[in-house]
Amino acid sequence: MSSVNKEPESHNPYWRSVNELEGTPEFQRYVEREFPYLDEETATGSVNRRQFLQLMSASMALGGLTACRRPVNHIVPYVRPPEDVIPGVPLYYATTMPFGEEAFGLVVESHEGRPTKIEGNPDHPATLGKSSMQVQASILGLYDPNRSPRTLRGGQPAEWKDFAEALTSLTSGLGETGGDGLAVLSEATSSPTVARLKRAIEQKYPKLRWVAYEALGSENAHEGTALATGTSLRPLPHFDKADTILALDADFLMTEENAIRNSYDFANRRDPDMPANKSTMNRLYVAEPAYTVTGGMADHRLRLKASRIAAVAVAVAKALGVNGVTDLEAPAGELDPVWIENAVEDLRRAGSHGLVVAGRRQPAAVHALVAAINHRLGSIGTAVTYVEPLDTIRSDMKALRDLTADMADKKISTLFILGGNPVYNAPADLDFGKALGEVGFTAHLSELYDATSERCLWHISRTNFLESWGDARALDGTLSLVQPLIAPLHADSHSDLTILNLIATGEEATAHDLVRESWAERFDGAVGFETNWKRLLHDGVLKNSSYRPAQVTISADGIRQAVTTLDLTTNEEAIEVVFGPSTALHDGRFANNGWLQEVPDPITKITWDNAAIVSPTTARKLGAMRKLNKLGELKFDMIDISIGGASLALALYIQPGHADNCISLALGYGRPEAEAVLSVGHGVGFNTYLLRTTDAAHIVPSVEVRKSIGTYELAITQDHHSMEGRPLVREAELTAFKENGKLYPEAHYHEPHQLWEPPVDYSKGYQWGMTIDLNRCTGCSACTIACQSENNIPVIGKTQVGKGREMHWIRVDRYYKGPIEDPQGVVMQPVPCQHCENAPCEQVCPVTATTHDHEGLNTMVYNRCIGTRYCSNNCPYKVRRFNFFNYTKDIPETVQMAMNPDVTVRFRGVMEKCTYCTQRINQARITSKVDGREIRAGDVQTACQQACPVNAISFGNINNEKERVTALKRNPRNYQILQEINTRPRTSYLGRMRNSNEHLAPDDSAANGHEGH
Amino acid sequence: MSAIKELNTQLEPLVTGNPTFASVTQRISELTEGKQPNKGWWVCFLAALGLLFMMKTLILYLIWEGTGIWGLNNPVGWGWAIVNFVWWVGIGHAGTLISAILFLFRQKWRTSINRFAEAMTIFAVMCALVFPGIHIGRVWVAYWMFPLPNQMQMWPNFRSPLLWDVFAVGTYFTVSCLFWFVGLIPDLATLRDRSTGKIRRFIYGFFAFGWRGGNRQWQHYEKAYLILAGISTPLVLSVHTVVSFDFAVSIVPGWHTTIFPPYFVAGAVFSGFAMVMTLGIIARKIYHLEDFITLRHLETMNKVMLLTGMLVGYAYGCEFFVAAYSGNIYETAIFINRAFGPYAWAYWTMIFCNVVVPQAFWWKKARRCIPWMFVASILINIGMWFERFVITVTSLAQDYLPSSWDYFRPTIFDIGIFVGSFGLFFTFFLLFLRFLPAIAISEVKGVLPQANPHHGGEH
Repeated sequence: MSSVNKEPESHNPYWRSVNELEGTPEFQRYVEREFPYLDEETATGSVNRRQFLQLMSASMALGGLTACRRPVNHIVPYVRPPEDVIPGVPLYYATTMPFGEEAFGLVVESHEGRPTKIEGNPDHPATLGKSSMQVQASILGLYDPNRSPRTLRGGQPAEWKDFAEALTSLTSGLGETGGDGLAVLSEATSSPTVARLKRAIEQKYPKLRWVAYEALGSENAHEGTALATGTSLRPLPHFDKADTILALDADFLMTEENAIRNSYDFANRRDPDMPANKSTMNRLYVAEPAYTVTGGMADHRLRLKASRIAAVAVAVAKALGVNGVTDLEAPAGELDPVWIENAVEDLRRAGSHGLVVAGRRQPAAVHALVAAINHRLGSIGTAVTYVEPLDTIRSDMKALRDLTADMADKKISTLFILGGNPVYNAPADLDFGKALGEVGFTAHLSELYDATSERCLWHISRTNFLESWGDARALDGTLSLVQPLIAPLHADSHSDLTILNLIATGEEATAHDLVRESWAERFDGAVGFETNWKRLLHDGVLKNSSYRPAQVTISADGIRQAVTTLDLTTNEEAIEVVFGPSTALHDGRFANNGWLQEVPDPITKITWDNAAIVSPTTARKLGAMRKLNKLGELKFDMIDISIGGASLALALYIQPGHADNCISLALGYGRPEAEAVLSVGHGVGFNTYLLRTTDAAHIVPSVEVRKSIGTYELAITQDHHSMEGRPLVREAELTAFKENGKLYPEAHYHEPHQLWEPPVDYSKGYQWGMTIDLNRCTGCSACTIACQSENNIPVIGKTQVGKGREMHWIRVDRYYKGPIEDPQGVVMQPVPCQHCENAPCEQVCPVTATTHDHEGLNTMVYNRCIGTRYCSNNCPYKVRRFNFFNYTKDIPETVQMAMNPDVTVRFRGVMEKCTYCTQRINQARITSKVDGREIRAGDVQTACQQACPVNAISFGNINNEKERVTALKRNPRNYQILQEINTRPRTSYLGRMRNSNEHLAPDDSAANGHEGH
Repeated sequence: MSAIKELNTQLEPLVTGNPTFASVTQRISELTEGKQPNKGWWVCFLAALGLLFMMKTLILYLIWEGTGIWGLNNPVGWGWAIVNFVWWVGIGHAGTLISAILFLFRQKWRTSINRFAEAMTIFAVMCALVFPGIHIGRVWVAYWMFPLPNQMQMWPNFRSPLLWDVFAVGTYFTVSCLFWFVGLIPDLATLRDRSTGKIRRFIYGFFAFGWRGGNRQWQHYEKAYLILAGISTPLVLSVHTVVSFDFAVSIVPGWHTTIFPPYFVAGAVFSGFAMVMTLGIIARKIYHLEDFITLRHLETMNKVMLLTGMLVGYAYGCEFFVAAYSGNIYETAIFINRAFGPYAWAYWTMIFCNVVVPQAFWWKKARRCIPWMFVASILINIGMWFERFVITVTSLAQDYLPSSWDYFRPTIFDIGIFVGSFGLFFTFFLLFLRFLPAIAISEVKGVLPQANPHHGGEH
């Protein structure tokens, strides 16, 4: 009964009866009574002796009875079983995750009607069966316990039908004025149905203002192509066709658009084992301020303030003889001329296979220059195409500025905000929240009751993409369908399509009907709509629906004009600030996602926070030089950054390889919502949006910074940054490797003498093994989240991570090499359990809770584990994870639905670790036995392997010649880490290759090994 | 003959004050009878009981909440609990060493200190046994460590050093208890004979096993004692050898080394003697036992500590040499990190306490200066605790993959349970002082001049 005793107006969003919701006195009395079902007399306390004895004896008898029996649980079979559902056998459905202008085609695993795991759709061009950490983690977003359950008016529970009525009466009034004062603020979208409804609304209300806003929009790229070509186009790089790539502040492998596809294509062109008749491994030049995973993959990286990137673009364009630039003076200030010369030379040599890309935060003129350079190289049409997006509503920060001004001037009377959280993430100078107060009728559609919802008159609960119908176009135009996997968790949730249709027609329609209506015209072929529709539902994508490449002509005048808008002067000493997406939370929309909060940033390894990232030199200049490499350091210095009138104190983190006099700030943290509506993301990190203005939304050339008092605790999963010369990540120069076959640092291995025969014959049967190709791995951490989702790995929170107790079964180690001030590179190494044939953990467990099976798996028997942690101590790879507390005790009921029913949820006090996805092996085993055959090559994919966008992870039966992993184990780049201690790991690594330009100081790193700092 | 005579006259007597048999009995027995001579006992006892209660509470909380309340993290899976375990087991070494090995070597000076040293051993091993039990993640299934027959035919892993530990420490505890108890029998009979109350007489009488002091009884008794001493002697060496296997059998750099067994045994004797010294000095002072625990005893113990201190010092040096000579980069790194890394403070504390401090015992003045040796004995025990800390924690914190390196910070629960274990120790120790003869009456009588009318002539 105690659970009922909660105040109805508490933050508990669930309620059991209308009485509770309204907090009537009757209900209060009801909960106060211990036996509310007893008669009034008993409840009010006038119990006579006889009744007392009756009650007591009954209680005793009943209490005793329950103790004698197990609780009875009825398993009720379906009376009419749903089609295809076999309990215990998952089903897979194709759907799409819309993400701004992007769309990720997915295949979602569903257990008895409950989606549990997300994978990429192999037929979809944006994913090709692969995924990213956001895609993997979006399943947790569906089950977010903080999701708003219902319609609210002014923060009070209201009825959807009242909203619909209010809306129709309001809009019918607007019809007379042509929709004057009516505005829609949406997220960027590529949904054909939204575009159709938008057209319908615009037809009805010609004066409608429709603005889309994304904190991290693509407007610069579009404006840039408009400057260069006269039309606003979307650049679509094809990294599979690029021999030489120059990335200008573009983290195209992780945080830029289309990162999954980019990674996939890039890695395939970076394969050193390609047959000689095909072209050789690509070469990557990166100029960027902060280390990104793209910078980590670079053969040559130039660390540079973001404001100096434009000068590089001009210098490259000039050197390549781009019309409109050649006659300009060389940009002022120090730029590494040798680096640029060689990059240009390489690009020229690559010709139509040379590719230059620029990041979204670079000004439009840089994008214009990039288009011109690509045009000059002749790579437009091969390594990059430009397309004109259809059905796409693009983000436009300037339009948002105008809209906000009009709102403040009371020119807007009705505003529908469909998704997004502009009160939080609109530039601070707009003061969007205040302007919102000037609008008469405001409605916000969102999954959480967030900062924007709080300030709107109406809040409508939004359906998750896994709950509703929709459609979307990928960046290349491919159409795909958003298909729900589950009925909305909250019955009072609504799709944006429903609301748009309500505005357009005044009638309610389901998203399903609206989407079908949009597609009706597309399917008018001979086969008939239903057949086409079913085909589409099955495939998830409409094949051959991508855009045709646009014809690009570069206007020299446009380029000349564009360059004049660039500030090419330099003030090396001024400290600049650059804003960028959080690698995990993007613009903050994933702030309530525990998996993404807890995944370490690939470079800084910070979890649950953002920080001001600076170079060691700049930190020293600011007088905030924390000793690097100090183990277990929790306390970090704070700095104060002032931009215009705004100032923010935040933690300082030193990143070797960062540009000097530059501070990188990740957006997406410091969400202002209260804990009740944002239980995970509340109070995490610093709200850097407060420093952002429309004029300097990406790069602020000069800011005031000073050291602040106090310290701040950051939870970082890797404290030591040097490999200490140990042969862990081994690499070589491609040309040298082809000659001598040596990987550095060199490992010294002698076949040890064995005293006894190995207990198991590993040459027979299924023998599972894995290879991880370090030449492909970018460090994007999609594997970590995929594993977390597949294996029910708990989220433990910042304090626990700070204590060094992170639970990830596959982590990505990151090492710098070279001097701390100017490191020569950063390397990544995913480390799951190595499944040693001669496993040190197994020998020391006193209760044999971890043992070897005959298929080479190092198994972990949770039931038997008593938690001595000896196995973890003795694991040289430190991949074992201990449940120091009962981390799964408080998991909300909805989040429990995200659990994989094939994997045990672990209790406190037991050790856990990577199992090579043993449940997937067993699933393949069952299938193969049912089919009466052996498990075939490729039948088993581990979760990390499946997610990995660069195909770095191969897994399979190493006794099967057909498996990719078997071939890779024979690759000359194959090696095992810590082979010399004779653990005989089943997980091996493929050495990393560098394809350096010999003129650019073919760094002696290979010969010197990784001498750390 | 004359040389021996000369040597004997040079040696101080083992018991001073020229007591008679009767006065020995009286002096030692009276400590267990009547009112306590000192109010200090009650103060100490209540304080110890308080600490014991604190330990119990913290352990209950630990079991309720999980091992996470300690400062452990991913690379450092063993922290204070294991450090405390090894430290307490080490302390438990001196008792049996004094009783058994010195008995076999006919070192008669042991008689004044062997009883409370043995008691100390038992209580220290009890303290030690608490820690492996509570440090595991699922305390309620700790019994799976024992080879209990079951219908699933699941047995513990006999290859695991932790299992060897269970047997080694278990055996040691059992034999130590037996040895101590057998030694107590004649004295218990003495107390029985002196007792006035019925209950007292019954209890002492029960445990005295009908001892009458007959010739035949003495013959049996001495044989039994000798046999137990013989059994105990290898155990003194084996317990800490097996405890050291917990580390040496693993592959953790800094643990995986063959020097550990002798190094651990030497360290254990070292810390055990230091603890005997600390307790002896206090008991001697409080109970005015200066005649029984003489400066000669203390000096001899200081010599043993000097020797064992040098042994561990040698081991510290040897580890560095082997690490450098092996050319093993992981081993080398761990030792460089020990001395100059984040745990350098712990390492140099250990070196100072264990290697530098005992050097003073080269000088006779220091060996006979009670305040100095009291301080030194405490410093040595601090140093020995740090030795275990350095071995356990620094090796784990910085092993093979630098990506996993981390730093261990204890929490109040680590500290609280360790401090509380002193409560357990002293509660039992004070009860022992109160109810049992702290000095072996019958054995001390054996070293009195009167017991040997030939005045050493038989040597």
